[in-house]
Amino acid sequence: MRIACPHCGDRGLDEFVFLGDARVTRPMADAAEPADAFHAYGYLRMNPAGPTDELWFHAAGCHAWLVVTRDTRTHVIASVRLARDVALELRAVASTTEDASA
Amino acid sequence: MSGPQSNRLASGGRIDRSRALRFTFDGRSYSGFSGDTLASALLANGVRLVGRSFKYHRPRGILSAGSEEPNALVELRNGARREPNTRATTAELFDGLVAESQNRWPSLALDVMSVNSLLAPVFVAGFYYKTFMWPAAFWEKLYEPMIRRAAGLGRAAAEPDSDSYEKVSAFCDVLVIGGGPAGLMAALAAARSGARVILTDESFALGGRLLSERAEIDGGDANAWIARVRDELDALANVRILTRTTLFAAYDSGTCAAIERVADHLAAPPPHMPRQRIWRIIAKQVIVTAGATERPIVFGNNDRPGVMLAGAVRSYINRFGVAPGRRAVVFANNDDGCATVRDLASAGIEIAALVDTRASSPQYISELAAHHGVRLVNGVVTDVEGRLGVRSVRIRPHAGAPFTLDCDLVAVSSGWNPNVQITTHLGGKPRWSDTLAAFVPGELPRGMSVAGAAAGDYALYTSLAGGARAGHTAAEATGFSSPPIDTPRADDEPTSIAAFWHVQGTRHKAFVDFQNDVATTDIALAEREGYRSIEHVKRYTTLGMATDQGRTGSVNAIAILAALTDKSIPETGVTAARPPFTPVALGAFAGHHRGRTFKPERRPASYDWTKANAGVLVETGLWLRPAYFPRAGERDWLESVSREVATVRSAVGICDVSTLGKINVQGPDALALLERLYANDLASLRVGRARYGVMLREDGFLMDDGTIARLDEQHYFVTTTTANAAKVYQHMQFALQWLWPELDVQIASATEQWAQFAIAGPRARELLREIIDAAHDISNAAFPYLAVGDVTCCGGIKTRLYRLSFSGELAYEIGVPARFGPALWQRLLLAGEPLGACAYGSEALGVMRIEKGHISGPELNGTTTAADVGLGAMRSRKKDYIGRVLGERPGLVDPARPALVGLRPVERAQRLRAGAHFIARTAEATAANDDGYMTSTAFSPSLGHWIGLGLLRHGPQRQGEIIRAVDPVRGEDVLVEVVAPVFIDARGERLRA
Amino acid sequence: MPDPILQPASAVAAWTPVATAGLSIDVRDDLTIAGIAPFRGKAQAVSEALAERYGLALPAACRRISGDDITLQWSGPDQWIAIAGRGAARDLEVELKPLLAGPAAVVEHSDARAVGVFSGKHARDVLAKGLPIDLHERAFRVGDVAITHANHIGVTITQTGNEPAYEIMLYRSYADSFADWLRHATAELTA
Ligand SMILES: [Zn+2]
Repeated sequence: MRIACPHCGDRGLDEFVFLGDARVTRPMADAAEPADAFHAYGYLRMNPAGPTDELWFHAAGCHAWLVVTRDTRTHVIASVRLARDVALELRAVASTTEDASA
Repeated sequence: MSGPQSNRLASGGRIDRSRALRFTFDGRSYSGFSGDTLASALLANGVRLVGRSFKYHRPRGILSAGSEEPNALVELRNGARREPNTRATTAELFDGLVAESQNRWPSLALDVMSVNSLLAPVFVAGFYYKTFMWPAAFWEKLYEPMIRRAAGLGRAAAEPDSDSYEKVSAFCDVLVIGGGPAGLMAALAAARSGARVILTDESFALGGRLLSERAEIDGGDANAWIARVRDELDALANVRILTRTTLFAAYDSGTCAAIERVADHLAAPPPHMPRQRIWRIIAKQVIVTAGATERPIVFGNNDRPGVMLAGAVRSYINRFGVAPGRRAVVFANNDDGCATVRDLASAGIEIAALVDTRASSPQYISELAAHHGVRLVNGVVTDVEGRLGVRSVRIRPHAGAPFTLDCDLVAVSSGWNPNVQITTHLGGKPRWSDTLAAFVPGELPRGMSVAGAAAGDYALYTSLAGGARAGHTAAEATGFSSPPIDTPRADDEPTSIAAFWHVQGTRHKAFVDFQNDVATTDIALAEREGYRSIEHVKRYTTLGMATDQGRTGSVNAIAILAALTDKSIPETGVTAARPPFTPVALGAFAGHHRGRTFKPERRPASYDWTKANAGVLVETGLWLRPAYFPRAGERDWLESVSREVATVRSAVGICDVSTLGKINVQGPDALALLERLYANDLASLRVGRARYGVMLREDGFLMDDGTIARLDEQHYFVTTTTANAAKVYQHMQFALQWLWPELDVQIASATEQWAQFAIAGPRARELLREIIDAAHDISNAAFPYLAVGDVTCCGGIKTRLYRLSFSGELAYEIGVPARFGPALWQRLLLAGEPLGACAYGSEALGVMRIEKGHISGPELNGTTTAADVGLGAMRSRKKDYIGRVLGERPGLVDPARPALVGLRPVERAQRLRAGAHFIARTAEATAANDDGYMTSTAFSPSLGHWIGLGLLRHGPQRQGEIIRAVDPVRGEDVLVEVVAPVFIDARGERLRA
Repeated sequence: MPDPILQPASAVAAWTPVATAGLSIDVRDDLTIAGIAPFRGKAQAVSEALAERYGLALPAACRRISGDDITLQWSGPDQWIAIAGRGAARDLEVELKPLLAGPAAVVEHSDARAVGVFSGKHARDVLAKGLPIDLHERAFRVGDVAITHANHIGVTITQTGNEPAYEIMLYRSYADSFADWLRHATAELTA
C-alpha cells in the first residue's frame, strides 16, 4: 500500500505508523459523564467493512499526522488530509453547533 | 543407454556447443553445454530418473521445462550453499555444478522407503489428521521421526548462508511481467512512447515460448526478431530489462516484488556480488504477459519418468537440442499435439502414436499424422508401465480393443492455464472460459492489464498484437502518447481444444498433484468424507500446497472435484493464489539485515572509548550503551559493577546518558501542551529549574517518565527514557496536531545534538569545577538541586548543565554539542583521576536506581499506574491531562492493586531473582495465591546483600511482613522481608549536598 | 593538564573510505545548522526577515534554496533548517536567534546530523538500494528535498547537482551503521 502524504507525496507503507480510528473525538474534560465518554473514546470502534478514516503518522517522513480515508475491503485510498486541518475543521463545526444550540 | 550426451541432437538448440560444462549428479560426472538447464543436461545424458516423491517415494523424472516443475527437485551445490528443492528445470548449468537427488535411501534407483507406496492406505487424504492421533506419546517417539524420515524434501544447509543478498527499489510508468512475444511487444510499444519501462523475465534469455517453438516472425526466424527487439530496448535509456528475474508478487498501489537471481548461474557469486536481489517495483501501470502453463492429463502411473508435458518436449528439442526420448507417444486433447508431432519428427524421434482424446480430430491433425506416418488414435492412454520409467503405455481407443505400445516418452497435454496468479494476488478471482477450457484473468486490479497467453491469447499473431495494444494503452494512461506500433507478421497456429481431464478405469494410481503426491483417489475420498469446497479439499488433501503451488495440477483437481460433485468448474471455483509465485529464499527477504547488521545500531559519544577499553556494551532499543567497564583482575561483571557503584557512592563516576530522548518544546502554548501531556503539575516550574514528570497513556497506565526543564518563558526541554524516545515524540506530535491543533507550539528532537554525561558522587562538583569555565558559579547555592542552565566548558564550548540525580548522589548531567562528546568523555575521566573517578555503565546505574527505588523499564512495563509505582501523589487534581479520566477507573485505583515495595532476603546471603512471584508466607504457591512479582533485583554493594523492587498486593501496608519470593522456573523459594522501596539515604540529603 | 581545547570528532569518518569508481563521497563535517520553526501565522514574517538579511525566502515544501552564505531547506511542516559552512566560528543558532526571536523557535542542530554529498554515475543506483523513493531525473531534480529512510535509518536527501549529486543527512548516531550499509550497497562497484 502507498499513501500520498500531502507534504511529501506518494510513499510506501513502511514510512508510516498506523494509530487507529480517526472518527472518534477526545471528549472535553468537563463532559457530562466523563467516564462513559472516555470509555467510548478509548475502546468503542465501528470496524466498518468499507470506507473508514484512519490516523497515520508519517514517521519516516515529515512527521505529519494524517487522516487517511481507506476502504478496508480494497485498500483503495480515497483521500489523505493533514490531521491538523481535519481537527481544526472539526473544532469549527463543533463551535458552530454549540453557538446554534446556545 | 546413457553415454556422454547420448541424447543430444546433432544440431539445433539455443545452446553454445563450443562451451562444454562439467557437472555431477549423485556423484557421477556428466557434461552439458552453456545454455543448458540442469534438466536439459540430465536429459541430454540420458538421465531421466532424478528424484523420489514426497510421500510415497515414487520414482520421478522431469515433467516440465520451467518454474512449474513439481518432480525434478534436487539439492543443488554443497556445504553452506547446499539448497534443497531446487527445480532442475530452472537451474542454469555452470561448470562444476553439483546436484544430488532427494528423498532416496540408500540410492535413487533402490529406495527402501518406496515401501511407503505399500503403506499408501496410511498416507491417504487427511492422514495428518487421522493416522497419528493417539496415543499422544507416540508423536515424539514414533510418528514425528517417521514422518520426517519418510517425507520432507531435501536437506537444508547446516552452515550459515555464505552469500549476500540485497534489496532495491525501482519506479516506472509501465512494468511488463514476462518477456515472451506479448511482453516484448508491450515493452516496445510503451518504451517508444517515452514511458519508463521495466521488463522482467524468469529466464536468462528473452523470448518466452518463442525460444521453445519453431515460429516465424516477419518472415524470418523468431529468434532474429527477438534479437532486434532486445537491441532496440537496450538502446533506450527509459527501459530497464531484468532477466533471471521472477516477479513473484503484486501488492496494493502498483507495488510489485521480483527476485533477481544475480549469481545463481555461477558456481559461487564473486565476493563483491550479491547472490540474489529483491526488487521492489512501484509501477503506475502493470502489464501481465506471464504466459501460460501446460497441464498434464491424469492417467495411471502418469508420474513415471518419461511422462512429460508436450510443450516441454518441444522446449528440450528446440531450445536445448535434446531428445527427451527415443520413441514417443503423444497424448493430447488439443492442437498442441500437432506441433509436438512435427518437432519430434524433425528431431528424428520415432513417434509410436498420436493419441487424441477427441472423438474425431480436426482434419489438419489427421493430415499431419499421415504426413509423418504417425498412427493417429482417437482414444486415451490409460496407464504407463515400467518401474523406474516409461517402458510402454496401454491405450484404449474410443472404438476398438485396448492395446499396448512400447515407448519411453509420453508427451502429454490437456491444454494450457494462463498464468493468472499475479492478477489475483490482490483478491481478484479468475474467470472460467469454456472455449479455452481454462481460467482466464477476471476483474483486474486498477492499473493492471493482461496480454498474450496470460490473457488466453495463445496464438502468436494475436499475442503479438495484444501485447502491442496493451503497451500502447498503458503508456497512454501514464501520459505518454504516441501512434500505435505495427504488429509484425506472424501466423496464428491452431489452438482448438476439447476439455478432457482424467482417464477413468486406470489400473494404477493416477496423480493430480505430483509434488505433494495427491492422487485422484485422495480427491474422491475427501469428497466422500464431506469435503466439497475446493478450499477444504485443498487443505484436507494438501493439494496445491507444495512449493509449486499446484501450477500443473490444480485445474485438473478442480475438474475432478466438479465431476464428483456434479457441479460445473466455475461453480466449483478456484483456490486463491498467494505470493510468492515461486519460492523465494529467506535470505533475499532479509537482504543486508543479518548478523550484526540485522538492524541499524546507534552509537553514543563514549562508544569508541568503550570499545578501545574493553568495556561491555548492551543494546537499549537501537542504542549500544556501555553496560560496565571491567578492570584487570576483576573476576566477573558483578565485581566490576560493584566497584563502579562503590566509586560513585564514595567519590565520583561518569556515565554516558547521551541516549536519553531529548525534545525541545517551544512556543506561546508550550506550557499548555506539556500540562496535558504530563500527569503532574508543571505550571509552578520556574525558568532555570527542572522537574521529574510522568506521562500517562489515555487509558491511564504509565507511558514514560523523564525530566522537564524550563529554559525560558516559552522554551521547555524534556527528556524521555532511551527506549521510549520515538514513541514519546510521536505522542507529542499527536497531541499537538490532532488533539489540540489550536495550540501554538513547535516541537523538535534534540537527542542527537547533545552528548550528555552524568557526573555523580560526593566529589561530582569538584570534578565539574575542573571542566566548567570559571565564569560560571556552580556552588550549591548558585546551582542547587534541580537547577538547569546554559554555561560553557573547556574554554567556551556551549554547555547545558542540569543538577539531576538518578543515583541518589550529588549529581549533574552535562550536555555538549555531540562532536565534542568523545573528547569531553576522555577529559572528564582524566580530570577525575586524582579524585578517584571511574566510568560507570548502565548496570551500575541500574543498581543505584534500585537502591533508591527509582522506577525504570521493568516497572514502566505498560501494566502499571502512577499509584502502583508510588507516584500517585504526583497526579494533579487541577487540570485535564491525557490519562486522567480513564486512570480514575475503579480497577486502576483499587488499593488491592500490586504496588511498589522494596524487598530484602531474610537470609542475607540469598540471591533474589526478578520475575519471582510473591506468596504469603503460609500460603500454597499457586496462581490463586499470587500476590505480585519481583520487577528488579540487584546486588547492593552499599548494603552487602541482594535487594529487590516488586509490585505487591496492598504493598505499602505490608512493610515488615515476611513473604516468599517463588521462582518456579529456577525452583527457588526465598523468604523476603517487605521494606520501603528506598534502601539508601531515605531522606535524600546526599543529592542536595 | 592536557591541551584545554577539546577536539571535535567527525560523525562521518567511516563514509569516506566507501567511495569508489563512479561514486564520490564528500563528507561535510564543517556545517553549522539551525532549525527554524515559525510559530502560528509567523512564517511570512520569518521569511521576510530572512529575505532582508540573506536575500532568500523560506522555500516551499520539499525544496531547498541556496544563496551566497546560507542555504535554507524545508524540514517538515512549518519547519526549516538553515545550513552554512562553520568557517572560523560561524554559529547559525547564535546568528539567527536575534533575527527571529519572537516569530520562530531557533534550535541548534549542527551536531545532530551526519552529512555527505554522494555524486557520480553510480550515485543514483547505489542510493536506490536503500532509499525507497524515485530518484529518476524526471521525478527528483536539483533543489528537491525528500525526508525518507534508507536501511531503516531516517535520511533527508537533497539533490544538489546534475551529475547527479545528492546530499544525505542523517542522525549522527547512525552514521557508522549507514557506512556498513554503504559498503554492502557499493560492493558490486568494487569488482
Ligand atoms: Zn510526509
